[in-house]
Amino acid sequence: MQDLRVQFATSGGTVTAVDGIDFDIDRGEIVGIVGESGSGKTMTALSVLRLIPEPGKITSGRILFGEKDVVQMTDEEIREFRGNDVAMIFQDPMTSLNPVLRVGFQVEEAMAAHRRFSRRQSHDRVVPLLQRVRIPAAKDRVRDFPHQFSGGMRQRAMIAMGVSNEPSLLIADEPTTALDVTVQASIIELVRDLSRELRAAVMLITHNMALVASLCNRVIVMYAGRIVEEGPTRSIFKNPQHPYTWSLLRSMPRVDEVEKERLISIKGLPPDLGRMPPGCKFHPRCKFRIDRCMTEEPPLGEVDPGQMARCWVLMKNVPNPEAVAQK
Amino acid sequence: MAQAAPVIQPDLELSYEVPEQVTLLTDAWRRLRRNRLALLGGAIIAVLFMVALISIVWTPYPVWLQAVGPTYQPPSLHHLLGLDQAGRDILSRIMGGALITVEVGIGSAVILSLIGIPLGLLAGFYRGRVDTVISFFINIWYGIPDLLVALILVFVLSDALHLIPRGVFVIIVAFSLTRWMDVARLVRGQSLALREREFVEAARMAGGRDLALIFRHIFPNALGPIIVQATFAIPAAVLFEAFLSFLGLGLPPPTPSWGAMASDGYHGMDFAPHIVLAPTIALSITLMAFNWLGDGLRDAFDPRMRR
Amino acid sequence: MRGTLLYIGQRLILIAITTVLVSSIVFLLLHQIPGNAFLNETRTTPQALAADLRHYGLDLPLQQQYVNWVTAVVHGNLGESLVNRGVQITPLLVRETSVSATVGFFALFVTIGLGMLLGVFAALRQNTWVDYVASSAAVVGYSIPAFVIAIFMLLIFGHYFFVWTQGTVYYNVGWGDWTQVPVPAIALGLPYASYVARLTRASMLETIRTDYVRTAWAKGLKARIVVLRHALRNALIPVVTILGPLVTGIITGSVVIENIFGIPGLGKEFVTSILARDYNIVIGVFTFYAALVGLANLTVDVIYPALDPRIRY
Repeated sequence: MQDLRVQFATSGGTVTAVDGIDFDIDRGEIVGIVGESGSGKTMTALSVLRLIPEPGKITSGRILFGEKDVVQMTDEEIREFRGNDVAMIFQDPMTSLNPVLRVGFQVEEAMAAHRRFSRRQSHDRVVPLLQRVRIPAAKDRVRDFPHQFSGGMRQRAMIAMGVSNEPSLLIADEPTTALDVTVQASIIELVRDLSRELRAAVMLITHNMALVASLCNRVIVMYAGRIVEEGPTRSIFKNPQHPYTWSLLRSMPRVDEVEKERLISIKGLPPDLGRMPPGCKFHPRCKFRIDRCMTEEPPLGEVDPGQMARCWVLMKNVPNPEAVAQK
Repeated sequence: MAQAAPVIQPDLELSYEVPEQVTLLTDAWRRLRRNRLALLGGAIIAVLFMVALISIVWTPYPVWLQAVGPTYQPPSLHHLLGLDQAGRDILSRIMGGALITVEVGIGSAVILSLIGIPLGLLAGFYRGRVDTVISFFINIWYGIPDLLVALILVFVLSDALHLIPRGVFVIIVAFSLTRWMDVARLVRGQSLALREREFVEAARMAGGRDLALIFRHIFPNALGPIIVQATFAIPAAVLFEAFLSFLGLGLPPPTPSWGAMASDGYHGMDFAPHIVLAPTIALSITLMAFNWLGDGLRDAFDPRMRR
Repeated sequence: MRGTLLYIGQRLILIAITTVLVSSIVFLLLHQIPGNAFLNETRTTPQALAADLRHYGLDLPLQQQYVNWVTAVVHGNLGESLVNRGVQITPLLVRETSVSATVGFFALFVTIGLGMLLGVFAALRQNTWVDYVASSAAVVGYSIPAFVIAIFMLLIFGHYFFVWTQGTVYYNVGWGDWTQVPVPAIALGLPYASYVARLTRASMLETIRTDYVRTAWAKGLKARIVVLRHALRNALIPVVTILGPLVTGIITGSVVIENIFGIPGLGKEFVTSILARDYNIVIGVFTFYAALVGLANLTVDVIYPALDPRIRY
């Protein structure tokens, strides 16, 4: 994905939801994209399938899948691509399944739309797929309608639909947010196991840092439509560089520190995408800002081997943010 | 079919402007002013009222005067809309018809509101047996062709029982007697919801009597939807009158009803289409204007109900 | 399946009750009239009048008349014409119903077919000229009463076509030939078609923005399948609910349309018998109308769960 930009032409002017995103996902890799609501992570994911809602548009950049550029594909090519090479699991399983069609049919339809399986195969694969995502009594339930399924089961059905064509990339947009805490873990486990089985890459979009820590190889932190930090999960969690990543991690509850300190929430709100502040987009909420932050936007620079961040302070080699905070 | 990018509503549009503190009516008026179609409807209605008023004191020729020129004469400078099969000036008759239209429309809206609002308030406020009885009538009404019942009522009231002479009034009465259920159902729903609201509760605690509660607290808050419903009743009543008169069951000749004029002209349509065109076009434009205004009012009073 | 049949059975009984109730109102209204249909007729002798009254049972007390009438109606007998003695009303109206139903079904077809087509296209091409033309047509169309459209169509197809084609292709008023069905049916259906178009458009705009339609796109389904199977299927659900009022509207409209186009159906009979003061037929027509409206509403309620599996009786 190179220099991707997604803009919305609204009545109040052009809104840039995603601004110059650059990243790669390798085969079999699980990449987490984190950030607050409105940071552009969902738009980034939707643009991979060119599903940006009206009046949004991909205004520049390329999305390369192997050799092919998604942005340049014809209508028929993108149709073949969707659900076949790249599948997506959406946030809200309650509304993402069609209420008037039977669950089994909706899974079958995903396969029938592509050439990977014959009509017969598509039909026969439905029950095993539902069994694979651990829907109890799958044989009897293929003919159920979505309203007869629980939230967790609907999400399992969505996953079955997503993996039915054995895609090489699975995009999961906050797959557990709308679910009961008790089923979240099993859904995540399912996504991980299936991606291993299929040797598929996963792009996990979430604001749940704990989920990222347990699942992902690599993390991309987004803020106001930009990548502010990127690197291997281990280094990001151990050694967060960008002040925003740092605050995100501080706002996450930790079992081992329950008694030590109160949760810290990030003060202020993310900027209005239509009225972006000049300079670094995070500076109004940043504790460590310097004068340069208010006028000039920092580039994404390497701060550690394999770890990139977008911050002037880091480039000037100022002390570790942790140290500053303790003063 | 080209595979257009799927249209999905972005979250951006879902955020509403923070409403300022304004009263229901000023807020509605502000929204209405932005609706061009509704304004156009309002303007047409204003012209209709003016023409109706003018026709009381002046028309180019008396509406009933026959043989002011040759029969079936097409439009000319002397008679802008031509003459009809009896040699009457059509423009004058259209003007007279405007008055009848306004009378029927406004009269029906007022009378059916006078029947529907109290019954709806009673059903919604007292619930129980009162509600059961009123709701029974409302439900029966949804199972019948109401205009045809109204048609029979006109016939029974004036021709058979000679209770009310055949004229505008009997049409208003018959229409209102079969159409109050719409308003009643709406008001019933509104007062069912409103009677549970905090401010009504508070007024009740303060010892307000039922009548005071109904008319001071419930009725004013249901006013917006009532106005919308009444506005939609006007074109329905106008259409009913035209429908009756067209069939020869409405206003007796030589009343210049648009429906009756269309019926007169329809027989000479082959060689004198102007006779039938004038009243039907006037009628269609009038109905359109009221529907546009009604749509605009509905959107203005309840932006969430927008269709 | 058994549940459905049971439900339909219950509804049919309810429809029968409503039908009798509604036509009772008309019966009682009309029987308030002293002297009935014969007041206008010139009867030679009081004896002849008395004989007529006895023949129709009009000399009995009102309660007795009513009981007799209800008993007959329940047996499907609507009595005898007051004007044309000896004409049985039920078979007459059954015959006329088939004529009206032909026009009515065609009109319903025009309404739903055209309305949905316009609505779907307007929604899919939202804010393009297709949408503007369709929406403007709808906003104008639903205000023009059926009889005005009928007059215009008569003028165009009956008169101007005759002139232009020198009498080879034109619409001829009357009944008996299938070519005489479309023109009145279109006139009858057009005002409601614009209503259906508006509703379909709104409903379609809502569904094409839902999450499940986005899922359908994300699965890589063909545009046609996404629109028809996923969006339209769901968009139809609210449209079906107005079919009941639609049938009532078409019945009311048919009264005037049949008179304009000279179609020997229920609507023409209705007006003719009111003008002729043939009260028995008026009551009979009304009984038919009440039953038809009831059956139409029942049909809607049976179709509804088939479209929306979330609904059970």
